[in-house]
Amino acid sequence: MTLTMAAHDPARAARPGEQGEVERDGVRVCWERYGDGEPTVLLLPTWSIVHSRHWKAQIPYLARHLRVLTFDGRGNGRSGRPPTAGAYDDAEYVADALAVLDASATERAVLVGLSRGGRWAAGLAAARPERVLGAVLIDPAIAFVAPPHPGPVYPFDEELDTAEGWAKFNRHYWCRDYRGFLEFFAGQAFSETHSTKQIEDMVEWGLETTAETLVLTQLGAQPGSRAEVETILRAVRCPVLVVHGDDDRVRPHAAGAAVAELTGGTLVTIGGGGHCPQARHPVRVNLLLREFAESLGRRAT
Amino acid sequence: MTTLLSTPEQSRARYPDEEGYVERDGVRVFWERYGEGEPTILLPPTWEIVHSRFWKCQIPYLARHGRVVTFDPRGNGGSDRPDGYDAYVRREFAEDALAVLDAAGVDRAVVVSWCDMGESLILAAEHPERVAGLVFIGPPLSHREPDRGDYPFDSEPGTDMETILAGFRGWETKIIPPAEVAALGARVRCPVLVIHGTEDAQSEVWRGEELARLLDGRLVLLESAGHAPHARDPVKVNELVAEFAGVAQAAPATRTWTRALRRPKRALYLSSPIGLGHARRDLAIARELRQQVPGLEIDWLAQDPVTRVLEAEGERIHPASAWLANESAHIERESAEHDLHAFQAIRRMDEILIANFMVFHDVVREQPYDLWVGDEAWELDYYLHENPEEKRAPYVWLTDFVGWLPMPDGGEREAFLTADYNAEMIEHIDRFPRLRDLAVFVGNPADIVPDRFGPGLPGIREWVEGHYDFSGYVTGFDPAGLGDRDELRRRLGYRPDERVCIVTVGGSGVGGHLLRRVIAAYPEARRLVPGLRMVVVAGPRIDPASLPTHDGLEVHPYVHNLYQHLAASDLAVVQGGLTTCMELAAAGRPFLYFPLAHHFEQNYHVTHRLRQYNAGRRMDFATATPEVIAAAVADEIGRQVAYRPVETDGATRAASLIAQLL
Repeated sequence: MTLTMAAHDPARAARPGEQGEVERDGVRVCWERYGDGEPTVLLLPTWSIVHSRHWKAQIPYLARHLRVLTFDGRGNGRSGRPPTAGAYDDAEYVADALAVLDASATERAVLVGLSRGGRWAAGLAAARPERVLGAVLIDPAIAFVAPPHPGPVYPFDEELDTAEGWAKFNRHYWCRDYRGFLEFFAGQAFSETHSTKQIEDMVEWGLETTAETLVLTQLGAQPGSRAEVETILRAVRCPVLVVHGDDDRVRPHAAGAAVAELTGGTLVTIGGGGHCPQARHPVRVNLLLREFAESLGRRAT
Repeated sequence: MTTLLSTPEQSRARYPDEEGYVERDGVRVFWERYGEGEPTILLPPTWEIVHSRFWKCQIPYLARHGRVVTFDPRGNGGSDRPDGYDAYVRREFAEDALAVLDAAGVDRAVVVSWCDMGESLILAAEHPERVAGLVFIGPPLSHREPDRGDYPFDSEPGTDMETILAGFRGWETKIIPPAEVAALGARVRCPVLVIHGTEDAQSEVWRGEELARLLDGRLVLLESAGHAPHARDPVKVNELVAEFAGVAQAAPATRTWTRALRRPKRALYLSSPIGLGHARRDLAIARELRQQVPGLEIDWLAQDPVTRVLEAEGERIHPASAWLANESAHIERESAEHDLHAFQAIRRMDEILIANFMVFHDVVREQPYDLWVGDEAWELDYYLHENPEEKRAPYVWLTDFVGWLPMPDGGEREAFLTADYNAEMIEHIDRFPRLRDLAVFVGNPADIVPDRFGPGLPGIREWVEGHYDFSGYVTGFDPAGLGDRDELRRRLGYRPDERVCIVTVGGSGVGGHLLRRVIAAYPEARRLVPGLRMVVVAGPRIDPASLPTHDGLEVHPYVHNLYQHLAASDLAVVQGGLTTCMELAAAGRPFLYFPLAHHFEQNYHVTHRLRQYNAGRRMDFATATPEVIAAAVADEIGRQVAYRPVETDGATRAASLIAQLL
């Protein structure tokens, strides 16, 4: 166990009760535990554009009632930044999550994942049902189950002659104007008016990693077909709660609804909500998470 | 005792979906099932001094979310009254419960008991597969020897309650003994919740505390509550039982929560559902409110017959309205021949009021509103003051009368009861003065009766003036807007030369006797008033075919915008309800009104107000023979009246007051 400066950051509303790190294939993954109630909730990382601070509005509340685990996803925060794309495959993040459960002596947990984290939560629930009490998928980044947002699709790898809108989602643009991309993406993620602080947070956390690292995360292996996605979702046996904003401009609401249907889960729609309700609508999300986790905790005992 | 037995059962908020008997050793036990689905909740009886109706505040709410099974104890209600002490030991009740579960097809239930004397404990310990959880309310059980002496029971003189006596040899034999409590308790494995009032005078709170410890259960103390919180504090008990039984988890598979700034302004309007009286004024206020607050959406939580008016006007009725237990039907059941004891009818509506409050409770947990408006929505006002933590929106209370008043023949008892109700209301407002964000008296200070709330209580007028805003009367229409009366008559199909008398009893079904009496007066009235045309409006809840007919007499089931016909008439004959009388006062038409016997509001509040306007001729149904009515019709028809004008800006004033909260 190592205690770092972060644990004493006076700006945090809650300090971790325990910090640790696990190493897989030479990559360090830093995790934290808060609180010691029942059941355990594992707040998964999401895309490495941010790190585990993106759960800052959840941790203090949930930790007063439950046991909360977080870890920085490889590519940002205090975790390692391996230099190869293969190190950022979905399977690696799922394996990291399992390693954190093991390292923190957690037999079973409720998984909570935002965007890509939602996809990883489904993957872990499907692969290791004995470790998962339930899964909350918030604005899940799960492709193929619903039509993507309309609009032009730009290749990620090619040089483009435009940097308008989603043309900024391009490795060459990232390397030219990383901050410009972060500001654009955060603006899309927080479609709600008056979201300046949440946007600044995302940009700041994004700047804690590099454009080059983020490119690698984008090249990691993800499910490549509807069949592959459906196989995963239909294998999820635990209770599932999908939370999705109906103004999510990154991942369409219809995808969340389809995921709820394929997993037999319940769907809570955030009317007027964007891609990151945990940051923009923390009270509602906190209450939903506690209610869901405690209902499973009761069932387990 | 005989009076109680001869009183018909009051209206239930919900009737069973299935009922039956089980028979064990020749003793028949009557059971009922309400609702379906899971969870299943068994509400067993307690001591046979009461029967299963003591769960009346729980059944309608719980049955909306799952399946509820009740049964009457041997010795009371619909069950047999076997002879002999042995038939009444607690094990027999436990076996009855088991048999009822079998008969109702219930594998497993949460058992919620009140004053359990051992039967639920036996059931849970010996049949764990049938009991998903145990809730004890005010349990008298103890697993240690009592620390107080019991009064010797057998030295009491005998009474005539043979059945009760048959099963009773003193509490020490009625309740299972401490050693058995301890032994059974050790075998209970299911989750346990104990609810106990700290001022329970029948079963001291330490008993609940110790039982919770013995069974490793949760304990909820209700501070300053007595022995029967399910009856006296039903909202809280319902919530606790629902939470324990998992009722709250029955959330729909898809839900939406809309972020605050995206929400349109939305009000929930509860319109008093007894009769049609308030529908039109509430509509007028709602329309004004939408004018003053652009974009405001209004949902109505209302029931028949108010919903008929609202639907006809294209208003949005909240779907949960379908869950409301009907108050008009209850009022009709409470009425006799032109006689409605309004105060007792409201008291005997307690089960409906709590059932409907729980509907409201569920609605506002699911859907946030910017405002609640209750026009004489008694369930809302009363239970909010009893459970002030349930307030989660600005709240407006509207009424056109304040103060329960006793009828003279109710004697001391009724004077005591009305004063007690008034005192509770005054205490509620004193203790929670900000719960009503606005209280609007639909009228003027002079309309308030000159009485007191009761002995030692304030004068009604002085108190209301200190606690209410006044909107003036709200007619719901502007008489000037009806235009020229000749033109109006022509449009409605009344000839200039005919004398039109409209007979109406409003929207409830209480008025059938008055209609028949006036119809009986028709031949004589027609002799006295040549060319008399009598138009009888039966209303939405009286079948026109049930009324006698005469040549020249018309009977209509329901007339939309009846106020226009009243304004066009030469005379109206009506009940003593405020709305119709004031519509006639506003339209400046002569009318005869017959207050319902024992209806304190019509006899005192309405009569007092009509006198302020010098409007109408009061009649007494008891002495008004058809001849008397015919003579009064002849006297009054076509008479030029000199009423004080009724204000026409009431809806605007009421809406202006309410709009400040939006």
